Amino acid sequence: MVQMYKPDGIRPLTPAERELHPRLIGCINCGLCALAAGRLGNTRLPDLASSYMRLYARLADASSDVEGDDPDLEAASAACPVGLPLTEVAAVVRRLAAG
Amino acid sequence: MSAPSAHDVCVIGGGVTGAGVARDLSLRGLSVLILEKGDWGAGTSGSSTWMIHGGPRYLEFDWDTTRRSCEDAGHIVTIARHMVYRVAFLIPILPHDRNNIERMETAMEVYDRFQPLKKSNPHVRLSADEARQVEPGLTSDLVGAVTLEEWGVDPHRLVFANVQDAVANGARALNHTRVIELLRDGANVIGVRYRAADGSLSESRAKVVVNAAGPWVPEVSRMAGADVQLRPAKGIHLVYPHRISNFGLSAETVDGRDVLMVSHGGFTLLGTTDDDFYGDLDSVDVTEDEVDYLLQAFERIFPAIRDYRPVRTTTGVRPTLFKWRRYEDELSRRYEVIDHSADGAEGFITIAGGKLSMYRVMAEETSDAVCRKLGHQAPCTTATRPLPGSESELEPAAELGQRFGIPALAAIKLQSRHGSRAADVLDQSDAGRIVCRCEPLTESELAYAARHEQVRTLADAFRRVGVAAGPCAGAACVMRAAEIIGRQLGWSASQRFDAVREFMQGSWLGRAPVLGHSGWAQEELAQGALRGLR
Repeated sequence: MVQMYKPDGIRPLTPAERELHPRLIGCINCGLCALAAGRLGNTRLPDLASSYMRLYARLADASSDVEGDDPDLEAASAACPVGLPLTEVAAVVRRLAAG
Repeated sequence: MSAPSAHDVCVIGGGVTGAGVARDLSLRGLSVLILEKGDWGAGTSGSSTWMIHGGPRYLEFDWDTTRRSCEDAGHIVTIARHMVYRVAFLIPILPHDRNNIERMETAMEVYDRFQPLKKSNPHVRLSADEARQVEPGLTSDLVGAVTLEEWGVDPHRLVFANVQDAVANGARALNHTRVIELLRDGANVIGVRYRAADGSLSESRAKVVVNAAGPWVPEVSRMAGADVQLRPAKGIHLVYPHRISNFGLSAETVDGRDVLMVSHGGFTLLGTTDDDFYGDLDSVDVTEDEVDYLLQAFERIFPAIRDYRPVRTTTGVRPTLFKWRRYEDELSRRYEVIDHSADGAEGFITIAGGKLSMYRVMAEETSDAVCRKLGHQAPCTTATRPLPGSESELEPAAELGQRFGIPALAAIKLQSRHGSRAADVLDQSDAGRIVCRCEPLTESELAYAARHEQVRTLADAFRRVGVAAGPCAGAACVMRAAEIIGRQLGWSASQRFDAVREFMQGSWLGRAPVLGHSGWAQEELAQGALRGLR
């Protein structure tokens, strides 16, 4: 089934990612992480969870947005008022974007 | 009152059926006026499950609707190819389900016969382990699963694409314009009197008036002295601002109904309920009981569902044809084209019933009836003529993004709305800045929507281009969005604040029923950010 729908851009989460998933998408877009750390590639940190994690089915078409250097994700997570694990968010987004 | 205009046909109702009728008749060379009291697709069409589907459950009692629906879905996915996407479902089977896996697979084998009509793949049967591999969030009680494939679509864009093409072919289309009276000349209906958004009254003469008002069909029919009886059914959905499951899921409710979790673009719809509705069609509330009814069904197959935060609810009323006695869920989705000559209303036609997935054929048959009345001979072309944006192949999103200096993700979303015309939207403005980061949505697309897509309120912009549709529900973007729209429409500063206040109060009604389900952190942020408006 996964192979059948791969051309449609559907990339499933792994069991470990599924377990974490409710926490990965809890962003309330307050923007504090952007003050604590820089961008991931071309992407603002709040957008990772509030935008890129939303559309995890078609991320392969947007891989260029998340290529590049890592910011200080630990510092960004520490600033998050709802406890978003930004290191894990970045890892999942990049895995899905890699196709 | 301004001088009356004259048209061959006036269509009342700007849902998908009315918009489809306006497009069809315009393409046949008739002059058309279409009037919508709210915004395009803001009623039943917009509160649907966002699917072009055949309806396998109708196989049990209404085989013909499934066939016709699949046939028309095949046409729609061809003419609207930039808007549609495959939605693959898992139908998990639990030990005490109404249908065991053999029965469910038999049903899917029958449905497989219809799947080629809409260019879909046949079902696959999965063991419990295979199903949990595909979707690790499924319960461990699983017996197995079968798959089902349908198509997803943004109904707001589908409706607007029909309006857009109608206008490109000479139609006049007015949203926020309410018909208050039908004009009569003895037994003939000869036009409409309507009130525009600014309160002004106008009249338009028409040789034929089409009533495509969805659940409001009886109300409009009464203006002509005709009686059309519907059995309106209320349906709600919970909206999660992100994809939840890897694939769509089907679940059984406590009373044995099938409900769906459908992953669209960047959000998930969970629904729908189906209850007889007798209230005010312009004020349909969602109750916490309805929310819990849906969550209860999905918790059984996807236990983590209550860990997710819904951001709002949608609610709408289906214009189901009347039938006595049957349980709501078993009512047919058939439609009927009614010529009211026999009711003493010559020149008045109603289209009632039906469903989104066969809007095009409903529009075709209604248009045929109009053409017969007018003695107009021109063939229907809507089964093959692409909707605006679906005329040619899409440019790779990353390239489009690079060319205009916007993120590839923003380009993907832009193309999902405008298809091959996406570059035209960006061309018309130099602003590649993002206004709604959740979506993500560019300032230029929002300005374009205000200039060219009849966006008159923030709620219109929500429907047309998805502003404030994400997790923050507008907390971060509505003020800026009001500024951008206001600049195009000439709003004063106080009009911008009024627009934001109106939007936030309206969207609160959809959010309130789900806030008890972990949305308060988001709500506090939004309230804080917009406190100055209170």
